[in-house]
Amino acid sequence: MAERTLMERLFEPAQIGHMPVGTKIVVYSLLLFWTAFVLFPIYWVFITSFKSAVDVNSGPVYLPFIDFKPSLHAWKELFVFDWEDTLKAYTNSIIISLFATALSVLIGSMAAYALARIEYAPKFGSILIFVLSMIAAFVGVGVYGVDWRLACAVAVAVFFFLIKALGRFYAARLGNGDILFWMISQRILAPVVVVVPIYMMFQSVGLLDTHLAIILTYAVVNLPIVIWLMYDFFKSIPIELEESAQLDGATRLLTFFDIVLPLSKAGLAATTLLVMILAWNEYLLALFLSTSKAQTMPILVAAMNAGERGILWWNMSVVIVVMIIPVVVMAIILQRFIAKGMLLGAVKG
Amino acid sequence: MSDNATSARAGISSPEASLTLRVRFSEWIDRHSRQLFITPAVVMILIFSIFPLVASLIIAFSRIRLRGGGYSVRFVGFDNFSKQIFGSEQFHFLGTFAPISALGWVFGLGVLGLVLFWLFKYATAKFTVLGFLGRVITASMAVGLAFMFAATLLSGKPFGTLGTTLFYVFVGCGIQFLIGLGLAFLCSQPIRGRNFFRVVFFIPMMITPIGVGYAFRMMADTTKGPFSPLWKWVGWGDFTWATDPWAARIFIVVADSWQWIPFIFIVLLAALENVPRDFVEAAQVDGASSREIFFDITWPQIVPVAATVMLIRVIEAFKIVDLPNIMTSGGPGIATESMSLHSLFAWRSLDLGQSSAVAYLLLFVTVVTCVSFFNLIVVGRMRANG
Amino acid sequence: MKHLFKKALGLAAAGCMTAIMPASAQDYNGVEVNILTRPGPVIAQRLVERGEEFTAMTGAKINVAEVPFAELFQKLLTDWATGTNSIDVGVFASGWAVEMVDGGLLEPLDGYIANDTKIDMDDIAPYFREFNQKIGGETYLITVDGDFQMLYYRRDILEEIGMEPPRTWDEYMTVAAAMHGKDMNGDGEADYGSCIFKKRNAQSYFAIMSMAAGFVQTKGTGHGIFFDPETMTPKVNNEAWAKAFEVYKATGEFGPPEELNHDIGDTRGLVQAGRCGMVIDWGDIGPLSIDESGAAIKDKMGAVIMPGSTEVLDEATGKLVACDATTCPNATDGINYSPFAAFGGWAGAINAKSDDQVKQAAYDFLSYVNQAAQSNVDVTMGWTGYNPYRNSQLNNTENWINAGFSEEFALNYLGAIKDSLNHPNMASDIRIPGAQQYTGVVLDRELARFLAGEITSQEAVANIEAGWEEITDDFGRESQATMYKLSLGITN
Repeated sequence: MAERTLMERLFEPAQIGHMPVGTKIVVYSLLLFWTAFVLFPIYWVFITSFKSAVDVNSGPVYLPFIDFKPSLHAWKELFVFDWEDTLKAYTNSIIISLFATALSVLIGSMAAYALARIEYAPKFGSILIFVLSMIAAFVGVGVYGVDWRLACAVAVAVFFFLIKALGRFYAARLGNGDILFWMISQRILAPVVVVVPIYMMFQSVGLLDTHLAIILTYAVVNLPIVIWLMYDFFKSIPIELEESAQLDGATRLLTFFDIVLPLSKAGLAATTLLVMILAWNEYLLALFLSTSKAQTMPILVAAMNAGERGILWWNMSVVIVVMIIPVVVMAIILQRFIAKGMLLGAVKG
Repeated sequence: MSDNATSARAGISSPEASLTLRVRFSEWIDRHSRQLFITPAVVMILIFSIFPLVASLIIAFSRIRLRGGGYSVRFVGFDNFSKQIFGSEQFHFLGTFAPISALGWVFGLGVLGLVLFWLFKYATAKFTVLGFLGRVITASMAVGLAFMFAATLLSGKPFGTLGTTLFYVFVGCGIQFLIGLGLAFLCSQPIRGRNFFRVVFFIPMMITPIGVGYAFRMMADTTKGPFSPLWKWVGWGDFTWATDPWAARIFIVVADSWQWIPFIFIVLLAALENVPRDFVEAAQVDGASSREIFFDITWPQIVPVAATVMLIRVIEAFKIVDLPNIMTSGGPGIATESMSLHSLFAWRSLDLGQSSAVAYLLLFVTVVTCVSFFNLIVVGRMRANG
Repeated sequence: MKHLFKKALGLAAAGCMTAIMPASAQDYNGVEVNILTRPGPVIAQRLVERGEEFTAMTGAKINVAEVPFAELFQKLLTDWATGTNSIDVGVFASGWAVEMVDGGLLEPLDGYIANDTKIDMDDIAPYFREFNQKIGGETYLITVDGDFQMLYYRRDILEEIGMEPPRTWDEYMTVAAAMHGKDMNGDGEADYGSCIFKKRNAQSYFAIMSMAAGFVQTKGTGHGIFFDPETMTPKVNNEAWAKAFEVYKATGEFGPPEELNHDIGDTRGLVQAGRCGMVIDWGDIGPLSIDESGAAIKDKMGAVIMPGSTEVLDEATGKLVACDATTCPNATDGINYSPFAAFGGWAGAINAKSDDQVKQAAYDFLSYVNQAAQSNVDVTMGWTGYNPYRNSQLNNTENWINAGFSEEFALNYLGAIKDSLNHPNMASDIRIPGAQQYTGVVLDRELARFLAGEITSQEAVANIEAGWEEITDDFGRESQATMYKLSLGITN
């Protein structure tokens, strides 16, 4: 064994029952190093939540009870004196991320399933007409001050009229792949560009500062991820089961809910967790769509940077710590699914 | 089987009436299932993405001002874009240009040559109009970027937010992929505590990016952060991450990697564990070296997953904004400012036109990069693997 | 504990107030006033407490919502400009109001003030009354906090090295050099001579304007430091601003190594830990030094008007010339001082689109917070973030001594404030539409690039000139010139 290089020892395939001692040391020390790298910032945030201002500002102290006297002042500040605000933000975050995730996963996996199993072929020309009539509507609203309801109604009417009138002159069609790409590409857009239009949209229907507004927005923002992951997952499920179910007379909807979804538990769990994490942590959209009633936890984190009075590191750490807890619990519960579910389209071969 | 399930679910008492109703309902569903499945997603995306997309496109071509009772819009054509590319914001977006140095010429012309050769090869081998057009777009962006770097970085001047963003994307994602793959490989070994490592390694992803930003600001503080005694001991007490452009950029990549390696790690780990064992064992019986096993058997198996996960990661990396905003506010100078942050700053100062223009430029760069990546690498690989 | 104490104090004050003014005042049962401001405890917390008192007195409910500072202006403007109108009162930087008044978003308040017997406008220091609260001669804002920058120093360290507080920036550098490296808090580690925040997208541009003011403005508040009021040509591409840039960078030599990434919060943390010999800051350092977290500097701080200059800008040539009777009519001992009203202070403004009754209740509440009976207590407490702006606060040390100031420091601190506030050459912050773009974006960005060594000071000021001209053309030169003149109090 001595002549084997380090590379070879590291690339030792998994099924060999025992590892040479040298490999073991290398592997474990690398893993432990990474564990330390991952955990240290979290540990630091955790102990900072028990530090007083002086302990933070006058240089580093590392160990509670030995280096410094832990104090609960920041925890008290948030959970005794300001508990109403903290609790409000916490429940908002929970409600919003749960519902947004549920909505996103439901709608997204339905669409992903449809794209994986049903052939769609929208006409390219119709889409072009649709986009053009929408642009015309926006220009009308934005530049000429037409009422947006009127503009939308006219645009839709024009769209249907033009399809009927011109529909037979073009034949080019798009396929499922194009639809998939279009949906996924929505993820590319940076939130800062869309936040003002979305704000105006919710303002015009009076939904600002409500849970519903944020839930809908998060659901859509995360839809591409769900569609993408679940599309790959559905593709990997053997089609035979569904075909036999359909021969038995089951409808597509039934097939989907009774056969496909139970088979995709792992993929669903992993996707749910990912979307939930993204929704739980989002900041910019939440900031704009909420004023006070619907404020979420990340806004509370940002609010602890008190500008001229410095960053309230201790309070901020408390917020971060309480934000981590529920997600970690979720991750531990779902962890046996994550590994399987994060396969994406791996099983194609 | 399924019938029982539905009637149990519906829980209807009078079987006959419900049967016809149910049959009719399910027939209707069946007939419309094509639309039913996809319509909610399409409608939601149309409302929430297309409207803002078009609205901000209009904003990008205009000067918009918020005032009492709404806003005023004035069309200015390509002003917002030309300001970024040729005008007073050029240093900010592209970088400060200098006469191209010898090194710059070598690099720029080298890239140009390579790209032309590649195009020529494609045109002579298998030619489709659409494919060629796509490749021309990719190629011209590559050449443009090469000359941008040649005229800024390689000629001794700082580059702008475009360069910084590309640095975050390519260097950051590259590092994240390598480390993520390495960790996944280690964790796929028969070791004790795999579940422990798996959960621990996954944790950073669950922390809100704002929190990560602040946590790493504490880490990097050389006067009162946890590593300050170490810095002093090494003799770098006066060295600070935040004042040197490259150190600051690297520091942001470190924080970004800390947060996102878990994602790559967990996906690749799943892929590695899915590699059929009998393949590997058969190869071992045949006497293949472990390196051959990795590159000939394991690697091709995980490539599709790796490509997808990297594509997701690259898309998110182009949008990086919270970390530089919190850790350095884009400083020193504009060294750590990403395009998304550039857009955010413009937006905060109410310059919505510039903000949207930058965001659209970002959109363009991202789309070209991702589509090229997808078409040239992923699709190519898939074809190669059958 | 501190928090309980605050609450108790608030309640006690509420008790007193209700005893003094019975329910006679106004009856606002069922009226709700929604206020948006930055996150507490600074500014917001005191509004919440005073709001509870106000509710007890009048029945109007005061809701205080908070959003992160960086997002506050956008948020207010979007809410009001798009007609959402979920917010009735914004408590924000007075400088931002110009843009809002320009859009017709704010309620003019002179009518309310005329009917208000308790606010006692004459007690408010002239700068805040005439410049800060007014836009174009009409009052739109009610001050709750008075802001301008001063120089603070460690009296004990200064005595130790046997020097006087600096009067010019040259002296500042000498003193900073002498202080640098001394152990100022007894922890055995070398501390810093000068702490001036330099982070990008933070408050750095206020510090540079404070420094530049002494080099640029000579002929009184109406002179201005940013533009020629007739042509709107920027007065920035010259030796005076370049010199200020150089000075600003040079102070970093005696500062903490990370200063380029320090915002004012980081700097204040260091000051409170006793690690800074001198610091440029708003009025907050005074009350902060008697705070429990400022134990290391209690009774050790001194304050003085911002350093001035013996050389000033000659506008015709763009060069620095020596100070004499004609070039510096307002100079003291040949030194031209120009204390800069950075930020202008936090002030409340009322949404013009709110209901009349809500507007009246909102005004009454702002007036209540502003009245001497309340604010004279609030400004002495460091955690409120409120700094003095009334003569009765400055001429009366009693409240300050009650709050924990030593008499000596109270006199020194209030003296420095009075010197600045009553200075005929006080410099006004930029108060025209696009103010945020002029300073927060262009000036701040070029400053950051200069500090990072990307460009020279000459390039920086040239770039700023170009950037400012672009913004001016964008907003319309004529209208900007009119607004700028109004902001300087030129009304011809």
